[in-house]
Amino acid sequence: MERTEALLIADLCEGDETALAPLVEKYKRMVYRLAMQITKNHTDADDVMQETFIKVYRSIRTFRRDAAFETWLYRIAVNEALNFVKRRERRRESALEAAAESEYEVATRHQAQIASDPHVHAEKAELRHHVTKAVNSLPLKHRTVVILHEFEGLTHAEIASILNCSEGTVRSRLHYARKKLRTLLKPYVDASHI
Amino acid sequence: MRSKCDKIECLLSDYIDGTLSERQTADVALHLRSCRSCKQEIVNLKKTNHLLENFYVEPEASDAYYARFTTQLQQRIEQSSPTALHQRFHAALTRLGWCLLTQVHRRIDRSRLIGFLSIRRHAFSYYVFALTMTMLVAAPLLLHQISPHDNGEHLLGRLYTAAKTRIFSANSPVLVQPTATLAIKQDNTVAQSMGIRRNVNSERTTETPAVDSGSDVWEFTNEPITDGYIFTRLRKNDSEAVPSVALDIDSELLAYAEFPAQGAFRTGLTSRDVLTENRYALLLLKGIEAGQHGLQEYERKWNEFTGFSEKLLDVPLETLSVPEVYDSKEL
Repeated sequence: MERTEALLIADLCEGDETALAPLVEKYKRMVYRLAMQITKNHTDADDVMQETFIKVYRSIRTFRRDAAFETWLYRIAVNEALNFVKRRERRRESALEAAAESEYEVATRHQAQIASDPHVHAEKAELRHHVTKAVNSLPLKHRTVVILHEFEGLTHAEIASILNCSEGTVRSRLHYARKKLRTLLKPYVDASHI
Repeated sequence: MRSKCDKIECLLSDYIDGTLSERQTADVALHLRSCRSCKQEIVNLKKTNHLLENFYVEPEASDAYYARFTTQLQQRIEQSSPTALHQRFHAALTRLGWCLLTQVHRRIDRSRLIGFLSIRRHAFSYYVFALTMTMLVAAPLLLHQISPHDNGEHLLGRLYTAAKTRIFSANSPVLVQPTATLAIKQDNTVAQSMGIRRNVNSERTTETPAVDSGSDVWEFTNEPITDGYIFTRLRKNDSEAVPSVALDIDSELLAYAEFPAQGAFRTGLTSRDVLTENRYALLLLKGIEAGQHGLQEYERKWNEFTGFSEKLLDVPLETLSVPEVYDSKEL
């Protein structure tokens, strides 16, 4: 019989290691997506994934049952990813990486081409690439808020809880991120019709 | 007008998300009706959102990667060192123990035969001391391990119960309930004075009736009773009522005892044969909730009931199917 998420969490709290695998199975794509978007690097994203689930396994007893597990997992994953980026920047590796096109951008360019319908014009693939690149070019704090709000669908309050900041800060970052994106994508914005 | 636009512009992002208050939403909507640049701004923001929703490519890894990741994670968890405080403490203690043992072994190895013998000669007193200490520490634990739920059927359980009654009932509440034995003499000569009530309606109820109900359905009788409830009232020498006891002799085999100062006890009987012998009834009081009634008080009451133990010993055991009859106070 398939265990519910609450049951899996309860079992994990009691030291049942087998309860971790279904949780990993359920959330691994979400964590990878988040880690990759923040770190923009597959190797780092892989490390973030590992650290996130190890932390879940070790700290599950600190998880308050009245909160949503997903939000708790988001908090761990986002903070792990942000820490990775900060550590990387401290090692001054980012300067070199910034010069070259990031691994993520290469991957997204490839995905953008694959994702496009063969009958659709190449412009759409190019548009996908530019939109993704624009998001990735945002400062880390703004990018994180955009990812969590626009793509993960979290509310301002949830993002504030995850990033340990006020809702006002989240709104402010989102506002400036959107303005920046609007500027970066101006040719496409002017050309688009909704 | 520009300052108004600046103010409104800060709200446009929230306006799109619908997270403004009603008043702010109304303000922005009103402004947008009259301000072309802000209206264009909001259109542009909506277009930007539209582009993000439809053209942003989310990263995705291959299934092979996820499979590999799951395996690696499992390996890491298996290899991970203990992190909980108690686990670390235990690991540190184990390491310390091994260090000490290593040191002891080294010293013994270095010592000559005479030195080794001298250790052995002095070691005996240490062994005795260590054994005594171990027994002192282990005895209460061992007693506790006998069976906290023992109902008194096993000798060790009874001994434990008796010991626990004596040792722990003085000042502290008893966690494991003691077993006490109550014998009620119920022959014809005493019956009149005791007062026996019988359920004349012969309607069975699952609940044992309250002793002091005074309900019309109960009457006093000293006839041989084969069905219904028996109420009996034991008396001390000075005729002061000590306990009231109700026995259900039907299949439910319930017993109910009420003590004036301590409230009521209720228990299951071990056999209905107890009640077919009309001269004696044996009621095993089990599961006395010491926390509610206070075992010390209970014992004191029984000590006041003179001749209790003698009456108990007079019970013809062969007529009872109760496998063992004992008095915890006598153990």
